[in-house]
Formats: sequence, structure tokens, C-alpha cells
Amino acid sequence: MSSGVEHLLQVLFNGLASGAVYALFALGYTLVFSVLGVINFAQGALFTLGAYFTYLLIGGAVGSNGALAGFQLPLALPFWLALLLAGAGAAGMGLLVEATAFAPLRQRRAEPLLFLISSLGAGVVIVNGVQLLMGAESYSIPAGSLGRLPAAVLIGGAQVRTVQLLLMAVAAVVLVVLTLWLEGSRLGKALQAVSEDPVTARLLGIDAGAMIRLAFALSGFLAGVAGGLVALSVSIAGPYFGIGFGLKGLGVLVLGGLGSVPGAMLGGLVVGLAEALVPAEFSGYKDGVAYGFLFLVLLLRPRGLLGKATVSKV
Amino acid sequence: MSDLSLLVQMGLGALLALSVYLPLRCGQLSLATPGFYAIGGYVAALLSTRWPALAAAGAGGLYPLPALLLEMVLAVGLAVGLALLIGRPVLKLRGIYLAIATIALVEILRVVNLNAGWSGGAVGIFAIPQPFDGPGGYLVCTALLLALCCWFCARLEQTRLGRAMAAIREDELATRCMGVPTAQVALSAFVLSAAIAALTGVVAAHFLNTWNARQGGFDASITTLAFVVFGGSRTWLGPVLGGLVLTALPELLRPVGDLRLIVFGLVILVGPILAPQGLITPERLAALARAFPARAAGGNGVRR
Repeated sequence: MSSGVEHLLQVLFNGLASGAVYALFALGYTLVFSVLGVINFAQGALFTLGAYFTYLLIGGAVGSNGALAGFQLPLALPFWLALLLAGAGAAGMGLLVEATAFAPLRQRRAEPLLFLISSLGAGVVIVNGVQLLMGAESYSIPAGSLGRLPAAVLIGGAQVRTVQLLLMAVAAVVLVVLTLWLEGSRLGKALQAVSEDPVTARLLGIDAGAMIRLAFALSGFLAGVAGGLVALSVSIAGPYFGIGFGLKGLGVLVLGGLGSVPGAMLGGLVVGLAEALVPAEFSGYKDGVAYGFLFLVLLLRPRGLLGKATVSKV
Repeated sequence: MSDLSLLVQMGLGALLALSVYLPLRCGQLSLATPGFYAIGGYVAALLSTRWPALAAAGAGGLYPLPALLLEMVLAVGLAVGLALLIGRPVLKLRGIYLAIATIALVEILRVVNLNAGWSGGAVGIFAIPQPFDGPGGYLVCTALLLALCCWFCARLEQTRLGRAMAAIREDELATRCMGVPTAQVALSAFVLSAAIAALTGVVAAHFLNTWNARQGGFDASITTLAFVVFGGSRTWLGPVLGGLVLTALPELLRPVGDLRLIVFGLVILVGPILAPQGLITPERLAALARAFPARAAGGNGVRR
């Protein structure tokens, strides 16, 4: 028998876990936005890529629909290693997206709208490339992939799946490391300098192009790792599943405040909790609640929960 | 017959592109077009399937044209009402915030359409009566609508309101200093955009014969935006061309099979890099007019 408190605790943990995914996503967007001031719409595709890489690297076989039907890597890495390599693969693709969709536009100082379109094109290419190679079917990572870790633990009477704890832990670690790195290290400060003023940063001897590539690689890595973790926690519902997460991650980003690292985390948790608190009989409206929330926040406080106010001339 | 159907789809694509173009001409990146398109489609689908008397009034088993007009009037009324209601607070947002707020609006509408009782849920509404007995009739109807909207947009560009829109895009502060009520101008663009999208939805619902929550989601936001960016957002001809070409592109690429969506993605990826202003700009039109002076004499007000 689960009492009311235990039920609430359960809901809370579910919300925190999905909030952690949104937050990881939003952090990836934040990194690129804080340096370039533009949104990378291919982020969702990198998430998809990370999930598929993880699946392949642990030795998963391709289904019967794609061009690679029946293909299987001749190795079966442990989940941890596969996840890290998948993150690295997504980071590499992030760099490729930067080189094709962002660098040419950046060099001619194009308006931000064009970055949005070209990165979206890159995302369409990646997602459909995955679909071409691996088919539109769903894949799932075997539950035993976490090795000797138990499938779930009991916290205060609530069943919490290990994957969910893992997601929360990864999000928390990323938040702390990223904040410390951005604020404390030379490289982090250089990144901030580029976002503040690329020309001055260049005069100070900072390689702005390298900093931008670093931001893309890092955000690709975050997206890839988030994708792999979600593949384990839920499943891969086809190549387009990253796009849905990406869209919500974008909402989370604005909810927390564009360019704010703690804001992205807070936004993720708020949306995750709000979704988890939707009663089961209205579960169809879950997605709508998140967006409705976002809509209200935008109207009442356009800079987001933790965003800095920008001075507007008009 | 499928060729005619493709032409109808191209026309509908061009109409949606005009709907995205109007706010963008005013410097407002609104992605709300698919939401209003979905509203138009539901108005048509619900009226024509849930009100048998309306469909029964037609001759020869066809849905009566006056009823189609009634649907258009109601759909535009509903869309304009909603646009007026949310336009003012939403248009206070700028740039990416406005884009995301309108994406949120589209997603909210989609979720409601997916779950509400009247919408037929994920399955949607089936067997929407046909006002025409083939794609030919739809082609005439779509072409008429497109011509009307093109004429309207072309005229608009020459009016005080249209010039005020372009001025806001260039410099909102300066425009306001010149005494232009910028908020009202932006709202007009938003409302006109909603009206065109709703009209398109009405025709599309009959043409597709079925309507569900998949019509007008985030995908549609992006493809319609791609129409405008590809064609150009500074004169009405750009989005129309972008809508016609990019709607046809996946069909024309059908011979390359599974690669077609990848090629479509590449076009969207490379387009902004090769032609940042889009294919059609007022400057290029003027250069064309200089190259062919005979035609420009009777043309639409292009002066040398």
C-alpha cells in the first residue's frame, strides 16, 4: 500500500528525473547561446545521435528497416564507456554542424534568424540520415546494462529507478562542474570574454573561433550523453525523438532565462515537476502544461526566471 | 491527376508562406502560422461533418460552395479574434523570445486538439465532404485565394501601413519617433497573418479529406519559415516562390527515394549561406526590370 506521502515522493522523483534531462538539454543550448547569442536547432538531432551511438556501442543490432539492416558492431562495450564515446561522437558531429551551418554565416555577420534556419537544416539532415541507416523503428537498451547496480532503490517508501538517480546525478555534476569551469578557469573566462565581445577578446589574444568550437563540442557532448541516458531510461522511439526533447529543452531554456546556467537547471526541474504533477486522467495534456507554463512566464517575465534584464531602447 | 494535386499543395504552401511573411516583413519572427492553420482546418472539418443540413444543401452530392464561404468567414473570424486577444502581450516579446512564445502557442493548440473530445483525438476527423469533384476544382479555388492574397500583399507594400511595417523591421525606435504607432502596425501584421493561415486551413481540410492534430505542428512551423527564408522576406514574391518550390521539392525528389528528406535538409542548410536575403529581393527585381524595360513599363510599380 502506498500512502499519499509516498505517492507524492514518487511523483517528485519522476519529475526530478525528467527535469534533469530537460536541464541537460537546456545547458547544451545555453553554452552555444552564451557564446554566439544564437540557438542551435540541431541540438535535438545530436541527442538522437548520442542515443543511437550508445545503442550501437553496447553491441545492439540494427533492425530490419534501415540501409544497415542487421548490422552489429563486433564489440559490446560496458554502458558507461559506450555513453562517453557516444557523447564524444555527438561532440564531433556538433563540430561538424558548427563548421557547415554556423561558421560561414558567422564570417559574414548574418542575422540570427539565418543561423536558426541553417542549423535546423543540419538537424533535418542528421535525423533523416539516422532514419536512412537505421530505420524508423524504436530501439531499447537492455535493463541489465548498468551491470551490478540494482534496477531500483527504495527512498522513503518510493521506488526510484537507478537510471533516474543517474540522470539526476549527471545533471547535478554537470551543473557544478560547468559553473566552476566557466567562472574559475582561464578557458572558461576566455569563453565568457568571447561572448561579451569577440573583437576585444581577439585583441587580448583569445582565439575566438576555437572558443566557439569548444562550446559546440561541449554542448554536443551534453546532448549525446543525455540521449544515451534517456535511451536507457525510456527507449529510443525512432530518429525523431530527439526533436521533441529538443523543443521542450528550448522552452526550459527560456523559462530559466537565456544564457544562465543555473537558470537552465531550474527551468528543467520546474517543467519536470509540473509535468509529473499532472493527474493521470489528464496525462494527455502533460506536454501542454509545460508550454502553457512557458507561455505565461514569457508574458509575465520575458527574461525568464533567472535571466538578466536587458536594457531595451524601445 | 496527382500532378494537379501537387499544384494544389504548392498553392497552399505559398499561402502559408505569405502568412509567415507578413509578421516577418515587420521584423517579427512569429511561428504561430501552423496554429491558425490548424484552427481553420478544424472549423471546416467540424462544420462540414457535424452539421448535416449544411452538406445536404449541396447539389450532385457535392458540398455547397456558400457553406465553404461560411466556413472561411467563421475560421477567419475565430483566428482574428484569437490573434487580437494574444497579439498584444505576445508581440511585446522580441526576437527569439517571440519565436519561442509562438512555438509554445502552436504546441498548446496541438496538445488541446489531440486530447479534446470534439477534435476526434489522435485519429482526427474523417470523411470531410468535398465541395469539388476533383483536384481541378481545388486548384481553381487555391489559385484564386493565392491571387487574392498576392494582390493584397502587393498593394499593402505600397500603402502607409506596409511601408510602416518595413520601417519597423529596419529600425523600430526611429519608426516610433516618426509617429508611427508601432505596436498597432505589428498587431495588424500578426492578425493578417492569422487570417491567411486560417483560410488556408479551411481549403486544406476539404482537400485532404481528413484533419487531425498532426496538421500544423512544430514541423510545419519550420517548413513554412524555410519557405520565406529561401524565397526572401522583403517582398511578397519571395515567400510565394519559396512556398511553391519547396513544397514541390520533396515530390520532385521522389526518384531519389529515401534521400529526399536529406536533400531537403541540405537545401535549408545551404540556402541561408548562399542567399542570406533569399532568392528574391527588391534589388534583384529592380535589376530585372532594368534588363527587361518593356515588361517593367506595365509591371507593378517598379520605377527605374
